[in-house]
Amino acid sequence: MAGAAGHFGGTNKAGGRVGTRDPWWMRWSLTVVAVVFLAVMLILPLVIVFATAFSKGWSGFAAAIAESESWSAIKLTLLAAAVSVPLNIVFGVAAAWAISKFEFRGKDLLITLIDLPFSVSPIIAGMLFVLLFGAHGWLGSWLAARDIKIIFAVPGIVLATVFVTVPFVARELIPLMQSQGREEEEAALSLGASGWQAFFRVTIPNIKWGLIYGVILCNARALGEFGAVSVVSGHIQGVTNTMPLQIEILYNEYKFVPAFAMASLLVLMALLTLVVKHGIEWRAARSHAQAVDETVGAAATA
Amino acid sequence: MSIEIQGVTKVFGDFKALDQIDLTVPSGELVALLGPSGSGKTTLLRVIAGLESADDGSILFDGEDATTRHVRERGVGFVFQHYALFRHMSVFENVAFGLRVRPRRLRPSREEIRERVMKLLKLVQLEHLGKRYPGQLSGGQRQRVALARALAVEPKVLLLDEPFGALDARVRQELRSWLRRLHDEIHVTSVFVTHDQEEALEVADRVVVMSGGRIEQIGTPEEVFHHPANEFVMHFLGNVNVFHGRVEGGKAVFGDVAVEHGEAGTATRSSEVEPLDDEAKPAKVFIRPHEWDIAVYRNGRPAMEAVVIHVNAAGPVVKVSLLSESGEPVHAELPLEHYRSLELRTGQRVFLSPRKVKVFFD
Repeated sequence: MAGAAGHFGGTNKAGGRVGTRDPWWMRWSLTVVAVVFLAVMLILPLVIVFATAFSKGWSGFAAAIAESESWSAIKLTLLAAAVSVPLNIVFGVAAAWAISKFEFRGKDLLITLIDLPFSVSPIIAGMLFVLLFGAHGWLGSWLAARDIKIIFAVPGIVLATVFVTVPFVARELIPLMQSQGREEEEAALSLGASGWQAFFRVTIPNIKWGLIYGVILCNARALGEFGAVSVVSGHIQGVTNTMPLQIEILYNEYKFVPAFAMASLLVLMALLTLVVKHGIEWRAARSHAQAVDETVGAAATA
Repeated sequence: MSIEIQGVTKVFGDFKALDQIDLTVPSGELVALLGPSGSGKTTLLRVIAGLESADDGSILFDGEDATTRHVRERGVGFVFQHYALFRHMSVFENVAFGLRVRPRRLRPSREEIRERVMKLLKLVQLEHLGKRYPGQLSGGQRQRVALARALAVEPKVLLLDEPFGALDARVRQELRSWLRRLHDEIHVTSVFVTHDQEEALEVADRVVVMSGGRIEQIGTPEEVFHHPANEFVMHFLGNVNVFHGRVEGGKAVFGDVAVEHGEAGTATRSSEVEPLDDEAKPAKVFIRPHEWDIAVYRNGRPAMEAVVIHVNAAGPVVKVSLLSESGEPVHAELPLEHYRSLELRTGQRVFLSPRKVKVFFD
């Protein structure tokens, strides 16, 4: 379908520029390669996930989700995402703001540090927290004396998730804000706006799309993180198992239907975020187009 | 509102952007800060606005110290070089912004805001484009929106950074005379930055010529053009021919030409010693292209011989490139009618006599 659309677009619009038109076999072979690749790598796995999840019907699916251990894994995963996404927004916006609007010593170091969770293996990220907060770690005895449990407990899961998702929002916003400069904020201040007014009325609307995109990536990673969480979790079913960890356990126990039921839920969450993103983009584009139509209409009547 | 700048200095790292600037802008005047890039003119404008803080010195508004006042309390309207319009807001919302962010007790009612914004849009001739977004406007329209937005808060001072820099030549010309008319109408004290001498001379009441973070000369367009205080100003305000010569017996001598010269200036700020008249002293002799008389035959006036190399007769003023006998390139300009009556051709030998020379001692 994509190939056909491309073909017609090519002959209609590019009719006048035969010289730059690619031969038909090149258009078709490129299109076929892209479609086959997508089918094998993306669509087929998705179909298999859902097919296996529903292989014992809707009731089998519902029973798998309703099991208390699975249900607690879902809640824990949502909690980890619910904590790390807001933290990420605050940190990401603050870091991007500092880096793009101010000059200070150690700026390059800060940019490099933000990338650290990307560059180290998630396993190492998990180990860091075990070394820091574990029973034999640096702060282990101090925490034990005060009866605070972090490793093999919910706080550890949340910490590890926050750690691996740190770069997402900041990474999206830094280049965006650097390219936008600070003139619009300066203009807002010169017009009498306070710092907060400039931030909420000028900065946030300008970085909205980058921010939403960063949040979606961050959310996806928070839901799906396996390595780091696996190290700090201890795999206590019903207590410290997130959805990916629970899926692994179920799979290893040959419980395919429950495993794929959980997996399909994760996939649904991911698809949902994508749908939300598209919905927002579509609405924004429509309201913009409407404003244009109105002005063009007004100009025509005037 | 008048602006007084006293001993303002601003340093960025090792770079002295402003070096002890003293300047007074009387109330209601339209002043141009003119200089090449890196001369500190934009920095000075930003210091006046409060977007940059001075390292030393003070800024007074109407005699009141405003040095430490925050930009939002200075009551200045700032028009940015690239307009800095809020890209996600319509033209109307852009202009209304300054009124809408006011604290509740100072904020005009919805209806009043509408009225004022429409009045401003009418002033800048954009009343039919209120719903457009900045991305849908031409450069000249954006510039006018930026101006309307700055005027909406009724600033006591209007500051414009290279207001016409990013526009094409025709629009620039239109906006220039429009800005001049607008200023005559609303009389708000205005300072604009430009690197284009023509723009400064045409629009401003007074021109401040800057270079290297210092002020070279302050004066009316006529003063700075006809009586440049130093070599830099002479060079910067239009094309000029320079000859290395000397002053001897009260006359400027270059090549084998000796002519009376007007008041002699000094090339550098530091040397203010006028030499005695009969003593020969090396000097640079400056002659503007339009201050040559071109003759086909020697007519008794002191003149230098030159050969016509190239003629550009497209326009009311004809530009003639010549080569002097000693091999120096010389530029001359003359009115079209005069050029026609002379019947100049490339390769022709002519005689150049300066009507006016300006001398700066080395």
